[in-house]
Amino acid sequence: MALTRQHPEAVIAAGCSDLVAQFREGLEPEVLISIQRIRELRAISNEDGLLRIGSLVSHAEGSRSPEILSSVPALAAAWGSIATVRIRYRGTLGGNLLARRYRYEMPVILSALGAQMQFQGGDIAALPVSSLWDPDPGNVGILTAVTIDTPSLLWFGYERSMRPLSTVSLTVRKNPQAGLTVTAVCGSEYRQPFVLSHTAEATAITELDPAFVGEVLAAQLPDEAGDYSGSIDYRRHLVGVLCRRLLAEATGNQRKGSQP
Amino acid sequence: MSLESPESSQETFTHKVEFELNGSPERHSVPTSTTVLDLLRNSCSKQGVRASCERSVCGACTVLVDDLPVAACSTFAFDIDGARVETVEGLAAQDGTLSAQQQAFRECGGFQCGFCTSGMLMVTTALLRQNPQPDREEIRDWISSNTCRCTGYEMILESVERAAELAGAKQQDQAPE
Ligand SMILES: Cc1cc2nc3c(=O)[nH]c(=O)nc-3n(C[C@H](O)[C@H](O)[C@H](O)COP(=O)(O)OP(=O)(O)OC[C@H]3O[C@@H](n4cnc5c(N)ncnc54)[C@H](O)[C@@H]3O)c2cc1C
Ligand code: FES
Ligand code: FES
Repeated sequence: MALTRQHPEAVIAAGCSDLVAQFREGLEPEVLISIQRIRELRAISNEDGLLRIGSLVSHAEGSRSPEILSSVPALAAAWGSIATVRIRYRGTLGGNLLARRYRYEMPVILSALGAQMQFQGGDIAALPVSSLWDPDPGNVGILTAVTIDTPSLLWFGYERSMRPLSTVSLTVRKNPQAGLTVTAVCGSEYRQPFVLSHTAEATAITELDPAFVGEVLAAQLPDEAGDYSGSIDYRRHLVGVLCRRLLAEATGNQRKGSQP
Repeated sequence: MSLESPESSQETFTHKVEFELNGSPERHSVPTSTTVLDLLRNSCSKQGVRASCERSVCGACTVLVDDLPVAACSTFAFDIDGARVETVEGLAAQDGTLSAQQQAFRECGGFQCGFCTSGMLMVTTALLRQNPQPDREEIRDWISSNTCRCTGYEMILESVERAAELAGAKQQDQAPE
């Protein structure tokens, strides 16, 4: 961490699967700091309802982790469905997030889960994953881990069957006072992910109406969500269908984090 | 890599990289931006490691690093310091006897032009080490990470299934009575 303070302009290298592409796109860093051998960044824990996933956890490790499989199994399933075998062994959670590429899926998956990014060695301690697309927060240093609160989580699911056109990750959480909050995040190849949310007075998932909630969520997609691969009308329609499909799963099976 | 470890020479950092290549020790000094593909092809004469997309997409450059398949084109050489690296050149025995994977690809016609074959063989090697009896779905998942422009995946899939059979039979032969 001392090195990142000494060299705030340094580029951090994890699995380098994206970084090599960035080199080919013209990146020429003066200083490269490889974090590959920091073992602590590979840890995964689940204590007091807080799932903590080290930033160096690879896609393969994350999708097989006993801690994740026992707390949010659908997160493990979603994580294991991305990329190809080589990238699953080499690519890391931190690299997928901090590459800040719209087409990468962990920002979509983790934003719906309300995940927080934990940093060290920069000016910022924590940021929600959903803020990845906000204006540059400056020197963030090293992403050490991602944390997810699990006690209020009732359901999580991820739909990537229409990728790259539209992906949707969706969670249902119990509110502290009353009611349920449904959060859907819509991803696509060319636009940043958009967070959509609906609060219902329901006391149980089974009381949610998938068609109604799906429509309410899709209507929130802003016009700029339309892109080269689909107009905004088409995207709203598609996101509505995918949300409805996920909610039908959710209402039919209330097990926390059950397989989508 | 740490900032202390490289040596600065005329503004280019170089790193000492020691690794095992197909069972033999290798020692090189490389600039930071050298990829494993550059190192293996240019300094270690391993031409079986193909260069094609150079973006981790096609799998032609697949090598094994500590048993896992990686894209040599998108892995920096400094990252394989201390690792065990395997290329297609290490598959056959010293006397030229083909490995089960190579034998199977030959029997089942798992190649035409052969450009993708070294990558396919290395992916197959990694898969069979993890699961000696993969089902079709798992084989499909693994070989779909590599691009073949001419054979058609069905014959490659059959080659991997046959490789599993041959490797299993070989192991049974070698098992103590
Ligand atoms: C062929 C191919 C297919 C792919 N398919 C998919 C797919 O289907 N879905 C998907 O979501 N992704 C996909 N990817 C992307 C892949 O998941 C990412 O390349 C990978 O996760 C990046 O991780 P890395 O460790 O290699 O990152 P690196 O290349 O090391 O780093 C990427 C960026 O993140 C920064 N960074 C990395 N770690 C940290 C950290 N801890 N702190 C601060 N900054 C950091 C680096 O500075 C760099 O800017 C694919 C990639 C390829 C090449
Ligand atoms: S050349 Fe490395 S994956 Fe294509
Ligand atoms: S055999 Fe020609 S590309 Fe596969």
